[in-house]
Amino acid sequence: MLLTKTLRSSTFKLALIAIGTFGVIMSAIFSYVYLSTSSYVRSRSDRAIMADYMSLHGVYERSGRDGLIARIQQRLADKGFAESVYLLVDPSLTPLAGNLKAWPSTVAATGGLTEFRAAEPLRNAAGRPLLRAMIETFPTGDRLLVGNDISDLDSFTDQIKLAVISGVALIFVLAGVASILVTRRTVDRIESINATSRAIMLSDLDRRIPLRGTNDEWDRVAENLNLMLDRIETLMGEVKQVSDNVAHDLRTPLTRMRGRLEKAYHGQRIGETDQSLIGDTIADLDAVLRMFSSITRISQIETQARKDGFRTVNLVEIASEVVELYDAAAEQDGTRLTIAGDHEVLVTGDRDLIFDAIANLVDNAIKHGRAGGRIVVANENIDGRAVISIADDGPGIPVGEHQHVFKRFYRLEHSRYTPGNGLGLSLVAAVAHLHGARIEMLDNSPGLKFKLWFSAPTG
Amino acid sequence: MSGGYHRILVVEDDPETAGQIVDSLTTGGYEVDLAVSGSEALRRGAASEYAVITIDRMLPDLDGITVMRQLRDDGVATPVLIVSALGEVDDRVRGLRAGGDDYLVKPFSFVELLARVEALGRRSDTIVKETMLRVGDLAIDLMSRNASRRGKEIFLLPREFQLLEYLVRNEGRVVSRAMLLQHVWDLHFDPSTNIIDVYVGRVRRKVDGQQAYPLIHTVRGIGYCLRAPD
Repeated sequence: MLLTKTLRSSTFKLALIAIGTFGVIMSAIFSYVYLSTSSYVRSRSDRAIMADYMSLHGVYERSGRDGLIARIQQRLADKGFAESVYLLVDPSLTPLAGNLKAWPSTVAATGGLTEFRAAEPLRNAAGRPLLRAMIETFPTGDRLLVGNDISDLDSFTDQIKLAVISGVALIFVLAGVASILVTRRTVDRIESINATSRAIMLSDLDRRIPLRGTNDEWDRVAENLNLMLDRIETLMGEVKQVSDNVAHDLRTPLTRMRGRLEKAYHGQRIGETDQSLIGDTIADLDAVLRMFSSITRISQIETQARKDGFRTVNLVEIASEVVELYDAAAEQDGTRLTIAGDHEVLVTGDRDLIFDAIANLVDNAIKHGRAGGRIVVANENIDGRAVISIADDGPGIPVGEHQHVFKRFYRLEHSRYTPGNGLGLSLVAAVAHLHGARIEMLDNSPGLKFKLWFSAPTG
Repeated sequence: MSGGYHRILVVEDDPETAGQIVDSLTTGGYEVDLAVSGSEALRRGAASEYAVITIDRMLPDLDGITVMRQLRDDGVATPVLIVSALGEVDDRVRGLRAGGDDYLVKPFSFVELLARVEALGRRSDTIVKETMLRVGDLAIDLMSRNASRRGKEIFLLPREFQLLEYLVRNEGRVVSRAMLLQHVWDLHFDPSTNIIDVYVGRVRRKVDGQQAYPLIHTVRGIGYCLRAPD
């Protein structure tokens, strides 16, 4: 999971490009070092060979074949020329002097510098040493070979080559590991920011991104995001406070108004028209007051203070009571309201609030479901979690609207004229949130299915 | 009948609300005393005998429930109706029902207040010990949980029986929808639908269907009343 994220991360891709570029440059530099070192070593040895050859060539010109044989023998006896290789042959390629036993077959007679592997071990050295030599065929037909054993040079350049290759490989491996570690760290930090964002989107605005205390740029990003969240939380609180205050403060004068109207309604000298006008006004006032009560109630639930009264309750018992209460209403619509599932589904919670939430969902199902339809309230224990679902077979809600229905005062276009104030599902959401329950909306094809996933009861 | 039967102590600090409560209770045939603070309520409550005391939850000096507890400690057994704003309905308020007291959530209609006060006042002077209750030709047996009219049994679900029992116990008095929710279902909120009406409608069909006269009457704008014809 984290590895896939690491490999997909843009930081990692950037690191790969950097490693690639850096690697190409390093390889070029190392190759240059290798090539120039080996050619320098070779040119040094070539100069020595040429000097030796020039001197022997001079001896041949001055003192002829015998003089050269004497000089070669003298050289072979000299410790200073231990690395040197000589061979003088007559036109029939019979060796006349030197430490090679035969004229190497692979070497052309044309002359010049050449490189070849000796046919036999030289002196005490094991194996067939690599030789580099200058070759000349004199006008008499005699041939001279003046060379050097360059096995040591060769193994030296081989070592350089090995060092260069392993150096480059090591750099690639280290850079790869380093970039994975760095990327993983970055991905880690971004993941923690992402996780917090997701939690916040699930309406847990009091969450904050953890700081590492390293005071690096990530901590600063997290710090700033946290400050932003503080600000958003304050603003949200203020907005909620305003709507709560409006609900609360308007309630007192509205209650008084209601009192006066009620007095007028029951007054003695009141005509029938006036009475029905006042009666309707009281009804409207009651609707407004009820809406305010709902807002206050939702806010009160959202403060989490009700958690103190939590105890273990049986969802099935509560759901049965709801079903029983709404049975008459369903019957009136010709709807069949039934309960299904397990007999005991325990949750830790507030009985009244859970009742209210289930009642709201059942009420919605009856109102918005199909007349003469079927509503099933099912309680289940699924993987240690308590689940209640309320399913109808009505027209359902378009998937695109699912997110909005929990907003305060939200009403679907086609239900704008059915009774209700658009606060029912906000209350369900608030109750669910208080209980740490997740709400799921599913297509019951046809119809709508609400599923509430509670966490297992604790203690 | 004791002198306190028609006297009510209203504890309320908002002058206008207090005035309206006093007015409607007076219209309902009660004598009303008003206390505007918790301490005054304690003084008056201990000094004279009342049928019912209504106490606002939020008083300038004391919490309404504290006032009630203190009255109890002073030996005042008068039933108390706590008037509470919705946000203040907590476990302590909900616990009132167990002690024979009651609560009322603001905003309330004065008909509702009157209904509550009537119910509480009645409870304080009559403690029903019989196991058989009768209203007109309706008889309900609290032991066997059976109801019948003119000897013919009415088939009721347990909750429907509870509802009928509550109506019978409050015979001749108005019972509001909220009172039914609280006393029959033990629910402390308003489902804000006509759910109670539909439920009562079904009980009414079972109880009053094909009978000589109806027992359950709708009281417009407030709730129901069960009574036999005069």
